[in-house]
Amino acid sequence: MQKTAKAARLHSGGKFRKELPFHLMLIPGVIIVFIYMYIPLSGLIIAFQKFVPAKGLFGNQKWIGWDNFIYLYNLPGAISALRNTVIIAFFKIVLHLLIPITVSILLNEIRSTGFRRTAQTLIYLPHFLSWIILGGILIDILSPSDGILNRVLGLFGMEPIFFLGSNDYFRGTLIVSDVWKEFGFNTIIYLAAITNIDPNQYEAATIDGANRFQKMRYITLPNMRMIIVLMMVLSLGNVLNAGFDQVYNLYSKQVYSTGDILDTFIYRIGLLDAQFGVATAMGMFKSVVSTIFISTSYFCAYKFADYRIF
Amino acid sequence: MKKLTAILALVLALCMFTACSFAEPGTEKYAEPVEVHFVRDTDDTLDANFFSQFPDKTMEDNLWCDLYRDQLNIIVKYDWIVKSGDEYDTKLNTAIAVGDIPEFVNVNTLQLSQLVEADAIMPLEDIYKEYATDFTRQILESDGLSPFQAATINGHLYGLPNVDSSLMIADLLWIRTDWLEKLGLPVPTTMEEVIATAKAFSEADFDGNGEKDTIIGIAKDLWSQMFSLRGFFNGFESYPGIWVENENGELVYGSTLPGTKEALKTLNELYNEGLIDKEFGVKDGGKVAEATTNGKCGLFYGAQWNSIYPLQSCVNLDKNAQWQAFSIVGAEGKVVKAQTNVGTLSWTVVRKDVKHPEAVMKMFNLFIDKNWGPENENGIYYAPLDSESIWKLSPVVPTNPHKNDGAFLDLEQYRKDGDESKVQGEALSILKKLQAFESGSEDGFALWGWERIYGAQGAYGVLIDYFNKKMTQDNMFVGAPTETMVSKMSTLEDLQDEVFIKIIMGEEPVDAFDKFVEDFNVLGGADITKEVNEWYASVK
Repeated sequence: MQKTAKAARLHSGGKFRKELPFHLMLIPGVIIVFIYMYIPLSGLIIAFQKFVPAKGLFGNQKWIGWDNFIYLYNLPGAISALRNTVIIAFFKIVLHLLIPITVSILLNEIRSTGFRRTAQTLIYLPHFLSWIILGGILIDILSPSDGILNRVLGLFGMEPIFFLGSNDYFRGTLIVSDVWKEFGFNTIIYLAAITNIDPNQYEAATIDGANRFQKMRYITLPNMRMIIVLMMVLSLGNVLNAGFDQVYNLYSKQVYSTGDILDTFIYRIGLLDAQFGVATAMGMFKSVVSTIFISTSYFCAYKFADYRIF
Repeated sequence: MKKLTAILALVLALCMFTACSFAEPGTEKYAEPVEVHFVRDTDDTLDANFFSQFPDKTMEDNLWCDLYRDQLNIIVKYDWIVKSGDEYDTKLNTAIAVGDIPEFVNVNTLQLSQLVEADAIMPLEDIYKEYATDFTRQILESDGLSPFQAATINGHLYGLPNVDSSLMIADLLWIRTDWLEKLGLPVPTTMEEVIATAKAFSEADFDGNGEKDTIIGIAKDLWSQMFSLRGFFNGFESYPGIWVENENGELVYGSTLPGTKEALKTLNELYNEGLIDKEFGVKDGGKVAEATTNGKCGLFYGAQWNSIYPLQSCVNLDKNAQWQAFSIVGAEGKVVKAQTNVGTLSWTVVRKDVKHPEAVMKMFNLFIDKNWGPENENGIYYAPLDSESIWKLSPVVPTNPHKNDGAFLDLEQYRKDGDESKVQGEALSILKKLQAFESGSEDGFALWGWERIYGAQGAYGVLIDYFNKKMTQDNMFVGAPTETMVSKMSTLEDLQDEVFIKIIMGEEPVDAFDKFVEDFNVLGGADITKEVNEWYASVK
């Protein structure tokens, strides 16, 4: 009995020794995560303070309990920012899954490699433009007075639409332009998954007399399941990230009620108005809600798709 | 015996003090060189007017730095220099947040309060008493004491005001007079006539594109100094952004007055009639300027300098165009008062541990003396004809608040009696510009904007009229920002602009204004009003 315990100890010691290099290799990463992810968490105390920057983070600040949160609750923009964030992010997440999956399957069916490659590159290109540049371009293209899009609509006798200034159109414009910018990039991920599928499966299906749609339905899609679930879990973590860069470059005061999101809101309160306490409170609220979403989505992925990261 | 010694000591001390004042401590040269460390921003006008002509000069080696060194033995150094005012504020706010505060620094009142709260800067009232020369005091206090009150916290003066004129901020009504003449219209004297004029301009379609798209110029930031709405609201007895006294003698926030609602209602009607750009909520001043330049705008509210920019480019393009600034007008049954605010925008503060804090007072004395003193060296140190912005090279820039209206009055006198010998200093250099314009030369035409400010029909005439007829509504709160103001005011201002824009565009009904007033009070406005009134009671 004693002997086996000793052996087990020896064995585990041996295992640790064997894996030591891997642990050492992990250390720099852990240190970086600790410095940049965990230490800044201590700044969350600002959310409960009447924060005066010049006194320093750990200086003699005045504690005010939940006052910052109550103030946020009363601030008319805060609730609408939360609502906008969820709505915009939800549609972005759904479309960012559906469209790239569809496009990748369709592209995969195209015989001409030349066309496929060209199409792939072209839809991939906007991904590399920053929102600063695209923002400027979109403002010009979508302008109701002299934008090209409204000129074209005018040819069909339509009244000009103020895409970036009307609360009816702003969210839609955000979602469509973001999907247009990013779907090429996501398509590549799914295409990579498709090329990994064993060609034998397709050959076998052909012999069994399956047509193209049946092959898509019964071979391609099931084989993509893992990557789809992974992308879904990862993107659910973004449910409160509606895209600061994009919104910041496209919005204006008149569309705050439909276009202002948590991140732009926090930016204005914190960095422009210097209300650090309130901004931190809002940021903390966002983190808490995000954590709930991520945990839930991870749990669901484990339960329904038997997918686990850890 | 002890008493006697005390009296003796007092007499001795008094002697020393008087001896000192004979030597004018504020202008005395240091025996040893004293380094003063500032931080600053620079701008395009300095690059264009000075550094491009004198490429071997730098911020630390130029006429003003030489002057401070030779006359006071003060060596000016800069810890950092950034390109624009926005960058300056961002960098300075960060520096304050991390406690890396420069020795001498120009700040606004918010930054000043933060620094006082952090106990980082020293009180300067003793230095001001001891070292400011009589002439400096006369200039710094000539715009009232509000620049000092704004920097006074708990009874201590924490910043020396880089004073500037309050009157200059008042809105004027700029109108294209060539259009008025073509349509045979009079200069509008009521709000109804202003609206009728705007409609007539739109009907007339002067740019000939077949569309009624001539607008009243309004920029998205509503209250800046061009394409502003301030003058319009003032016509409804509403004073956005400043504090005014109500009938009970209490201060109230001018944006929450009932007149504001009427002004918003009228603006909403104008918007629906197409007299306001549908896209104004996304256009900044530079973008709206395209409308004045291209003959799509013939009427707007703005400051006296608007003729130099943006209107000069309008007349450059269309030589027949003519603009003139007129007094703002009132809606039916309203008293017309143009709102003003403390013109001073920056205060020089001194870090607590600085050895020679009085150096900055000496610099103030020298700057004021050289530019507006009896020797009249304004033409060399302030704005010589060949490099206009040279005064900006000094790290402190207290301006004679009445230099512009003074110059205008000098020029008016000259227009009456034709005696050029009495026109001196800055007025003289302006007179040369006016003469160049009147010569009709190509170069002279580029000075059209100056003629519109200082000429016989000049914008300053209207401003001086405001003053003489008591047509100004000053900001009655001129103290340092109160505690709640520091943290909540800018958010409230954002909320205000957002609601106002929505109401003008018809996204929300005019009654949303009442909800705004409620929100304003809940979100800190009530506390701010209380603090402001406490301050008001303390200075009354």
